[in-house]
Amino acid sequence: MRPPSSLRQEFLKKWMMGLQRYSTSKKNMSILERKKAIKLSADVAIASARNGTTCWSRALIANGYSKDGGDDKHLVEQILGPESERLIMKKVLTGGASVCNKRMRSKKILKRSCGIQRTRKFAPQVALASSIAKRLVRKRTQILRSLIPGGEFMNDVTLIEETLDYIISLRAQVDVMRSLASASELASEP
Amino acid sequence: MATRSNGTASDRGEVEVLESLQFTDEIQHLMSAPTTDNAGFFTALLELPAPQAVQLLHSPESAKLIAAPVPNVEDFKGSFHFPSNSGLIERAARFSVFAGEGNNNTKKSNSPETTSNISSANLEKAVKSEPAESESSQPLVSDPTVEKRSIKRKDREKKVKESKKKSKTAANESSEDAEKLPYVHVRARRGQATDSHSLAERARREKINARMKLLQELVPGCNKISGTALVLDEIINHVQSLQHQVESGSIIDCNFPSMVMPMMWPEVQVNGNRQQYQQQWHFDALQQPVWGREEVCNNYITPENSLLSYDSSTNSVTLHSNQLKMEL
Repeated sequence: MRPPSSLRQEFLKKWMMGLQRYSTSKKNMSILERKKAIKLSADVAIASARNGTTCWSRALIANGYSKDGGDDKHLVEQILGPESERLIMKKVLTGGASVCNKRMRSKKILKRSCGIQRTRKFAPQVALASSIAKRLVRKRTQILRSLIPGGEFMNDVTLIEETLDYIISLRAQVDVMRSLASASELASEP
Repeated sequence: MATRSNGTASDRGEVEVLESLQFTDEIQHLMSAPTTDNAGFFTALLELPAPQAVQLLHSPESAKLIAAPVPNVEDFKGSFHFPSNSGLIERAARFSVFAGEGNNNTKKSNSPETTSNISSANLEKAVKSEPAESESSQPLVSDPTVEKRSIKRKDREKKVKESKKKSKTAANESSEDAEKLPYVHVRARRGQATDSHSLAERARREKINARMKLLQELVPGCNKISGTALVLDEIINHVQSLQHQVESGSIIDCNFPSMVMPMMWPEVQVNGNRQQYQQQWHFDALQQPVWGREEVCNNYITPENSLLSYDSSTNSVTLHSNQLKMEL
């Protein structure tokens, strides 16, 4: 499924807005710094297209915000726009981490206690196909959680929904970046 | 302009597809809505199948009831229009967990075929919990809490009985302001446990399966694979490859002095030489990315495009901007 053109346009606009901030200091930057700047602006831009409604977008914005360097904070502010920035940062800072951490901690405690009981009773168990499948699925969801920003805080259902949205947004990002690169290539032909 | 006409052409094509799928007028309206920002958040699509499927199941009243979810969808913040989601919506509605109620099939013409391993519990719970979600414009994280609420109410109800009003009033209630969820009346399927925990488990599992089906359709090449682990494998690979592409894309864009370009915008736009740059933006010459593309250009891309040419001899943007001024 192609990302809709409205999403791509919005991303491009916000990305360029973010890159503008670096225009003054472009000469002093190494390639690595430039790449980081580009990637940061792109991430914040694509996350702001969701305006704080999805978990991954909030996590991305939080990542962009917490890095050292006051520059990045201003970047986030500029891309998001002042009012929405306040709302989103409220959600990010207050809502997200603390509640989810508690949830994760209690889940881990539960799992640990259940696991102890389980091993005592069922230790000599034959490896059933279903349990193997379940283990595989659990491993895969763990990996997926590590891929999606903010995935550690989601339950299974939310994880899949966030993955759906994240894939669309990633595609939009890649599309715009590619078209930018190839257009410049075209333009540079003599 | 060319880009706009292309956009509307694809919309028209989708409208035809929609008509061929025999959707109601309201759904068509929703899908072919103009590309405004509030046209339809993608994950609202996931909430649509439940109320939509309920409407489809009870078609006579469906016309009014479908109108109910529509304003909710449009109220979603940060939403965007999904031009090609008609196929997904149709498939989601048909194969979705919540469609295909055994007892209601007699009324229904559009009921999904084959294995309907769905209990009315899911249907009603979904109908009652999903509207609650969609009517509060909260993020998706609110889903589990709403579900828990309905599960607790079910726990309080020891009896398992079938409610006569079932989907009709459930559908009616869906259009009301569902702040307090009514009791969920559950009918157990034949040969299945009826205690609340397993029902909740089953509901949750089927919700997950419905989402996984949507994911399968999204990721190319997943349709033929069966089995959750393998599908998850494909999804993981796809996400990883996309992330790598973003990384390499940002490195490639490094080489181009793209960061300076915005300063030049007002100058370029003033003059009338834009057509020259628009020709450069001709997509015939461009390579096609993996999932095919149409033009994405709009007005403010073209001036930027002209400024991105990499001047290898001097390796500076300022020289190129001078060239630009001379051209203009």
